[in-house]
Amino acid sequence: MSDIEKKGWSRRSLLGATAGGAVAAGALGGRLSLMGGAAGVAALGAGSAVQGATAEGSFSVAPGQLDEYYGFWSSGQSGEMRILGIPSMRELMRVPVFNRCSATGWGRTNESLQILNEKLSDSTRKMLAANGQVSHQNGDLHHVHMSYTEGKYDGRYLFMNDKANTRVARVRCDVMKCDAILEIPNAHAIHGMRPQKWPRSNYVFCNGEDETPLNNDGSTMDDVSTYVNIFTAVDADKWDVAWQVIVSGNLDNTDADYEGKWAFSTCYNSEMGMNTADMTAADMDHVVVFNIAEIEKGIAAGDFKELNGVKVLDGRKGNNKKYTRYIPVANNPHGCNMAPDKVHLCVAGKLSPTVTVIDVTKLDAVFESDIDPRSVVVAEPELGLGPLHTAFDGKGNAFTSLFLDSQVVKWNIEKAKKLYAGEKVDPILDKVDVQYQPGHLKTTQGETLEADGKFLVCLCKFSKDRFLNVGPLKPENDQLIDISGEKMKVIHDGPNFAEPHDAIAVHASKMGNIRSVWDRQDKMWAETRKQAEADKVNIDDYMDSVIRDGNKVRVYMSSQAPSFSLESFEVNEGDEVTVIITNLDDIDDLTHGFTVGGHGVAMEIGPQATSSVTFVAANPGVYWYYCQWFCHALHMEMRGRMFVRPKKA
Amino acid sequence: MSLPRILVVLMLLAPSAQAAQVHVTAGVDSLQTAIAGSAPGDVLILGPGTYAGPVTIDHAVAIEGGGQAVIDGNFKGTVITITGDDVTLRGLTVTHSGRRNEDIDAGIKIKKGAHRALIEGNRVVDNMHGIDIHGGIDCTARGNTVIGTQDPHMVARGNGFYVWNAPGAIIEGNTVQYGRDGIFSNVSRKDTYRNNLFRDLRFAIHYMNTNDSEISGNVSIGNHLGFAVMFSNRVVVKGNMSLSDRDHGVMLNAANSSDIIGNLVRGGTRKCLFVYDANKNLIANNRFEGCGIGIHFTAGSERSAITGNAFIGNQNQVKYVGTRNLEWSLDGVGNYWSDLPGFDLNGDGFADSPFRPNDLMDHILWSQPAAALLIGSPAVQLVRWSQSNFPATLPGGVIDSHPQMQPITIPVSPEYARMEALVADRWLKDTENDSDSEPTH
Repeated sequence: MSDIEKKGWSRRSLLGATAGGAVAAGALGGRLSLMGGAAGVAALGAGSAVQGATAEGSFSVAPGQLDEYYGFWSSGQSGEMRILGIPSMRELMRVPVFNRCSATGWGRTNESLQILNEKLSDSTRKMLAANGQVSHQNGDLHHVHMSYTEGKYDGRYLFMNDKANTRVARVRCDVMKCDAILEIPNAHAIHGMRPQKWPRSNYVFCNGEDETPLNNDGSTMDDVSTYVNIFTAVDADKWDVAWQVIVSGNLDNTDADYEGKWAFSTCYNSEMGMNTADMTAADMDHVVVFNIAEIEKGIAAGDFKELNGVKVLDGRKGNNKKYTRYIPVANNPHGCNMAPDKVHLCVAGKLSPTVTVIDVTKLDAVFESDIDPRSVVVAEPELGLGPLHTAFDGKGNAFTSLFLDSQVVKWNIEKAKKLYAGEKVDPILDKVDVQYQPGHLKTTQGETLEADGKFLVCLCKFSKDRFLNVGPLKPENDQLIDISGEKMKVIHDGPNFAEPHDAIAVHASKMGNIRSVWDRQDKMWAETRKQAEADKVNIDDYMDSVIRDGNKVRVYMSSQAPSFSLESFEVNEGDEVTVIITNLDDIDDLTHGFTVGGHGVAMEIGPQATSSVTFVAANPGVYWYYCQWFCHALHMEMRGRMFVRPKKA
Repeated sequence: MSLPRILVVLMLLAPSAQAAQVHVTAGVDSLQTAIAGSAPGDVLILGPGTYAGPVTIDHAVAIEGGGQAVIDGNFKGTVITITGDDVTLRGLTVTHSGRRNEDIDAGIKIKKGAHRALIEGNRVVDNMHGIDIHGGIDCTARGNTVIGTQDPHMVARGNGFYVWNAPGAIIEGNTVQYGRDGIFSNVSRKDTYRNNLFRDLRFAIHYMNTNDSEISGNVSIGNHLGFAVMFSNRVVVKGNMSLSDRDHGVMLNAANSSDIIGNLVRGGTRKCLFVYDANKNLIANNRFEGCGIGIHFTAGSERSAITGNAFIGNQNQVKYVGTRNLEWSLDGVGNYWSDLPGFDLNGDGFADSPFRPNDLMDHILWSQPAAALLIGSPAVQLVRWSQSNFPATLPGGVIDSHPQMQPITIPVSPEYARMEALVADRWLKDTENDSDSEPTH
């Protein structure tokens, strides 16, 4: 090596030497020669040399054909939920939740603002007012999960979290619209979130990841010993907090069992460190086990204090009650996944190359006696570097994403248990490279008792060079893997915008109650209906009324392709204008829109839906409004004028 | 104050201050009492025998065991805890720490904020973790023998050296055998790990987020993985050997702006070098021999120079997964390829034509070893000629424009070769797991 140094070889020359340009790349001609080359290879007896050049597999869903599964995707910092078809990986829909949506008017319409703002804390309202905002404009939606009945998806609701602003939201599966958002008091940064699986999703369990003083009023913020983390059970029907538990350490991912007895959360900061070094100081962190029945008993018995209107119970370490137990697992665990065999909880090691397998049927003993909490560990296979999450095929196999190795490893739970018990077996069945750096991975129906082991979706955090270069900001790469055979096979690359963290795949047969046309009695516009009744306007019928109420004007219109019922309306400069529109069309896919030029106002009005939007007509003049959602051959003509009379001088 | 168990044989005034040499005899509390009674700068010389731990040292003393003194923690907590600055431990046997990983029970623990501990020539045997530099600053561990446990459950074993947040640590000339990782280094910086020997472990060096550091002259034999350098910048990995390790000899994962120079990886390993999203690195004069894959280079690793290396008899010399074109030579110096079919007619030491190491022939040569006889044959030349003119089935690929005709040699001492031979067939069974599903070209 010394001769390299002697040659005056420097790091600087290295950084200048981007190698790529030197190579003359072959163009299309290469394909011709490829045939010849491959023939030569075949003659030498190595037939599989040109592998993967034409990826073909069962991801292909021909035009006119439907996907087998609904994929419900999170979008991270985009704040919306997405619906993809599996296996085609075609994006079918975006459902705005925590974000502001230009197309649908989510975050701008009165109906969406009602949902966004109904359950905000006073302090958040104060913060929004101080910043001149009507509602939060962003969210960080990590996890999407469907409601369960007896361990199976029931097609009622989808639940999702907002890590950025400590909220959870519910989407109705019949219309695929968000119908409830709750800001969770006392907790901070809801990360892990999962519904109860058995007997049904009465609760949605939510992990508060960030550590703060219980009373976060600044009085003890310099004293880290007053910091806590909060585990929350949300009543899934009322969409309010049922109860909360104070824990030791922070909370990362969570899951629930198939008997309705337990919830589990991983903790990567048992140290309660405030910087990276301190958060990784311990060799072991833990998984917290929550005993649902005991917590309910404690709440019923009054063993709580009320804080910000919520019953908060103390489940910290050293509390010898039976609310919680802490099971040590290796350094900074992350994923927390319950197998559909109803027995095995798989906790991924992240900084440890292992997955810790806990037999949940042994947990009662940990609550009832002083036995070593590690006695519930029945396997701890070393799988590869950076295990993050585990998915299941319903046949006893598990699939774990390896962030550092950038692989998915398929392993057998029973073999891993045998290995742990001392037998000489290798639990690893297969490994496949993924591109690049996988986070969550999910199998079709794999988080239910109906796991079917057909497909696995692996959400990769980097795409690097996998797609045409689109600039410094690159798409994520959601890869589809066929897991139906012994060996896994990557069959599709799916670029996706920032930043899916999690996804579930639900068989299409579960979605029988999904609608194409709204029910006129839907509660989505119940508040609007009340106002219309007060104004003596029937929003279920043709309407073309303008109601003046001081400087407030309510404009009631119907839309029916290709026209609005009002070809114009008139207001005065400075009026607060509310436009209420019912779409009287009842044909599949005939959505109308309403956009007012120059006013930042646009909304979606689905078939048989009512939507409304309020704005101030600040400038005099004529402004055209139009339908922005293509509806008819004369769609361009579907427009009208808003006259704004100047103020009298 | 009574000193019943301390026999003061000599009290020599140190040249500068009142530092003394104090002889201590074995007994139940004799060491604790001696430490309590010592002044900064004192040297405690332990007589032969067993001393009961645990012991905490909160001020600058040296404890010397002369190879005959045993500190036994009786399986409770950490045996020796150092909280003060300038503590020296020399010639001791430290054994039987507790087994609680939650508390990182260790033979010797240097706590956060303690400066300049010197741990030298000790035997650290049968502890959960061996020597834990847990936030200590500018500490040195030299010439120690650390032997961990062989619990069948890896998580129940500890690391030979556990380095957390310990800038300036020097770990050199130690031998580590059994246990989990030889050195587990996490969230630290400016550390030096050199000339250590690691055997029968999970990773020889497990290195996460430790910037501006050096890993040099270490030898890893028969471990799951040799040197895993992850999420660290400006690391020098130089002159190390990975002999018959299982998974990777050297792994660079998000390791950037680093020098990987003069290392030897050979035998049994799935991948000699795994380069994953590792950028701006110099990979020079290494010898990669007899692995499943010579270099697995992927995840958009960019702006690295690969020069002067020897690729010898790896089943797949290069597995490049990516869509870019890479030149693997620097300033006219390429690498040696054992499967190079080229000639050096002008005798300048370099082949006369460029070499595309990850072409179709790689697959042929390891799936059909007999085909190696045909390397110079017209049929093979034809395959290669057509590829050289019409390069790839997929976009991107690796080319070495200046392949070398002679490999770099890195000698292995007879002692290491003997250790290597002992474990040569250890991982044979496991080599099937690695993925080969990706297109390589």
